[in-house]
Amino acid sequence: MQAIAVLDKVSYIYPNSKETVLKDISLSINKGEFLGIIGATGAGKTTLCLALTGIVPQFYGGRFFGAIAIAGLDSLEHPVSELARHVGIVFEDPEIQITATSVENEIAFALENLCVPREEILRRIPIVLKSVRLEGFEKKNPQELSGGQKQRLAIAAALALQPDLLILDEPTSQLDPIGSQEVFATVKELKEELGVAIVMVSHAAEEMAEFCDRLALLANGKLLAVGTPDEIYAQVDLLEQNKLRPPEVAQAFSQIQHKGINTPSSDLEVMMGGAERRPSLPQKSCHLSQIPVTLDAGIVALNELRSQTSPSDPPIFTASTHSNKPPVLSVQNLKHTYDDGTEALKNISLDIHEGEYVLIVGQNGAGKSTLVKHFLNLLKPTSGKVLVGDRDTRELSVSDLAQSIGYLAQNPDNQIFNTSVEQEVAFALPFLGYAPDVVKQETERSLKAMQLWDQRHAHPLSLPKGERGRIVIAALLAMNPEIIIFDEPTTGQDYQGASSILEVSRQLHQMGKTVIVITHHLYLMPDYADRAIVMGKGTILLDAPLRQAYHQTDLLESTYLTPPQSVTLSQKLSTLCDRDYPLITPTEFANCFTPLPV
Amino acid sequence: MKLQTVKYDSLFTRLDFRSKLVVMLSVTILAFLWESPIAGGLLMLSVISFCLLAGVRLNYLGNILKVMIPFYIFLILSMGFFNVEQVKLLTHKTELTTLFSLPQTWWLVGNAKMSLEGTLYGLNIVFKTLTMILVIPLAIFTTDVNQMTVGMVRVKIPYKVVFIFSSTLRFVPLLLEEVQSIIESQRLRGLNFEKMGLLKKAQIYAKVAVPLILNSLSKSQKLEIVLQSKAFSGSSNRTYLHESALTTPDYLLMTGSTLLFVTAIALYFGFGIGKFAWLLYT
Repeated sequence: MQAIAVLDKVSYIYPNSKETVLKDISLSINKGEFLGIIGATGAGKTTLCLALTGIVPQFYGGRFFGAIAIAGLDSLEHPVSELARHVGIVFEDPEIQITATSVENEIAFALENLCVPREEILRRIPIVLKSVRLEGFEKKNPQELSGGQKQRLAIAAALALQPDLLILDEPTSQLDPIGSQEVFATVKELKEELGVAIVMVSHAAEEMAEFCDRLALLANGKLLAVGTPDEIYAQVDLLEQNKLRPPEVAQAFSQIQHKGINTPSSDLEVMMGGAERRPSLPQKSCHLSQIPVTLDAGIVALNELRSQTSPSDPPIFTASTHSNKPPVLSVQNLKHTYDDGTEALKNISLDIHEGEYVLIVGQNGAGKSTLVKHFLNLLKPTSGKVLVGDRDTRELSVSDLAQSIGYLAQNPDNQIFNTSVEQEVAFALPFLGYAPDVVKQETERSLKAMQLWDQRHAHPLSLPKGERGRIVIAALLAMNPEIIIFDEPTTGQDYQGASSILEVSRQLHQMGKTVIVITHHLYLMPDYADRAIVMGKGTILLDAPLRQAYHQTDLLESTYLTPPQSVTLSQKLSTLCDRDYPLITPTEFANCFTPLPV
Repeated sequence: MKLQTVKYDSLFTRLDFRSKLVVMLSVTILAFLWESPIAGGLLMLSVISFCLLAGVRLNYLGNILKVMIPFYIFLILSMGFFNVEQVKLLTHKTELTTLFSLPQTWWLVGNAKMSLEGTLYGLNIVFKTLTMILVIPLAIFTTDVNQMTVGMVRVKIPYKVVFIFSSTLRFVPLLLEEVQSIIESQRLRGLNFEKMGLLKKAQIYAKVAVPLILNSLSKSQKLEIVLQSKAFSGSSNRTYLHESALTTPDYLLMTGSTLLFVTAIALYFGFGIGKFAWLLYT
């Protein structure tokens, strides 16, 4: 196979740094292939992407060893502008990478810089817009586009250069499920129809397993393994050691395998492409495992497994009940219409009880933020009311409410203003009328509860992002609110970052707080939430215990939410056994299988 | 949030940005030069009429007035009361016409007289500044950003400067949204702005700068990388998607405004038309 990019023993150190961020990496990227790059935060994924465009080291400087050839051009000898004709790149943030004020100008920008004649630019614009399904958007201002459309525009702008290689650095991490699906579908089409080689960095394990031809696993700047998704994702232990989350199917079958149950199957091998792929294994490939990594392969494996072993009876789950406690938050016939006439909330009623852990899910525009803004009195109801305890929010100021409801914004940095962790936590208390000794006492209590006591003198921004979220939570906790709201805390985070912030939410829940989490990442929540509210088009589509809600797969899919793979597997298992398996995690699924006595 | 533009197509939107620049420049210089409240007032009224004809929204004009009114009241009062010597010189009068005087008992300003001539001079400055402020939306709001960019390049403004201008239009609204979101976040930390004194409020608002600057720095670093990947060098040696072609109405407008401008200057210096005393004092 012909290589479009070849990395030969590449190492790199950023200027004014001693840390080697890329270590002796050798890798070939073939024409027309889809290569996924996976690794925890700080593994060197973005640096590798930038090295493939020549920006590292040409723009950054630093110390670069080895060589990269892109379409036969040495990345050190040819300027970035020349390499840009062969490599396009799409970044994570949909906002910052769009620099023009109209869609057509965004596409034309790089072409203009490369002195491509106007007639040629005009010829390419409709072609690339068609390839990302944005025809008719030429004159639109990019600000009017949704997140997914913005990323598709960024892809179109990169495609206009007619690159041989398209790099996408976490293009879906800030998108909602619809936007994410749009991007994956577009990239797949580009690969299949235009034959563009794709390199994509993403934490979306399930999608990567499905779409990628090969995966490269990076850890601390080293290339640990390269292979097909079946080969890489089947090594669940290796991934977990490197703080990565394997697809749920792989987690479930790996646990089954650990119980001593093997799933050999000729069908499964075909499904995984094992027999065909073995001869072309890349240099660092690992042993072929029988663990399926995609949902389709998982279902085939389940069929095989079912024919060989009899699953145990479905476990009985008892839902926690809070209905006898008084609601701490009560929404009654709430309607909200924005000034432009948009009906954002349509007659919403719900009660949230003390000590509940509630998950609110839905697409952008479903009304989640509008609803939460009513809890905080940032918006006033058009009709209906919101009660916190027995007090109407309309009669309370935002700061009064802040003492009952703590709110962690998606970007905790927006809530940080002070020069030490301790000052940050104590910041709001004097404004709320706390005496100096109470301020000191509450600050200490809160810092200790969030394990920040040792870092109390540190500058908040000197701590990692996950810790900064904890600082804001400590500050909220100092006001002793009954309810704490986490607004999309897992967006843009890797698995470890997302888990650590959710662990904090669990800790708060265990302290007796009522926790409300807004997220799109359903697979992260089974271990935490006990109730799910699914919103769509300003209404509550479903309000049910989490386990029950996750199994309403048709409803979830109708609002573009993807149920965890464990749910689909357990529904398949229910069909096969003619019994109801209400499972929602890989562990629950694996626990239904026990080895047959010898 | 985005930059305001007029909603409908008109002669103003079809004109080239360069011809609008010539008009803008002529009007601004004339407004600056003329001291006559009559000439200045007429010029201001024409600019307002053109703004309305071009589709600039009334509430935008209203907002400008709202912001400027305190300053204008101060200006008219201070000119009416205290600009004595200059207006005497301009009107060749030894005594000014008193509109009213303050009671003698008032401390410091007792017996001060508000003169008609001073007030008219104050009005002249109000008209001047309003003309200069309103001619900008007339040119900018009726021009597509891309046409503006190309127009600026055609008048030999370096592309780097033009790029800064166009990307400002793209990113300032984002920055304003961010300021809003940071202030909201502060309120949600329990800060009751309604109950705070002005000084405390100012202190807290100043703290907005911390996350704002940090976020902006991080964004500008990302933007630098994005621009690199798009082969941006800042060089004017590039092609343009949009063309900027001067049409007959553009040539007519440019010639017309230049002629009017030259005539106005000749009348001002030759016959005193547009000077403060014109049509008011002989």
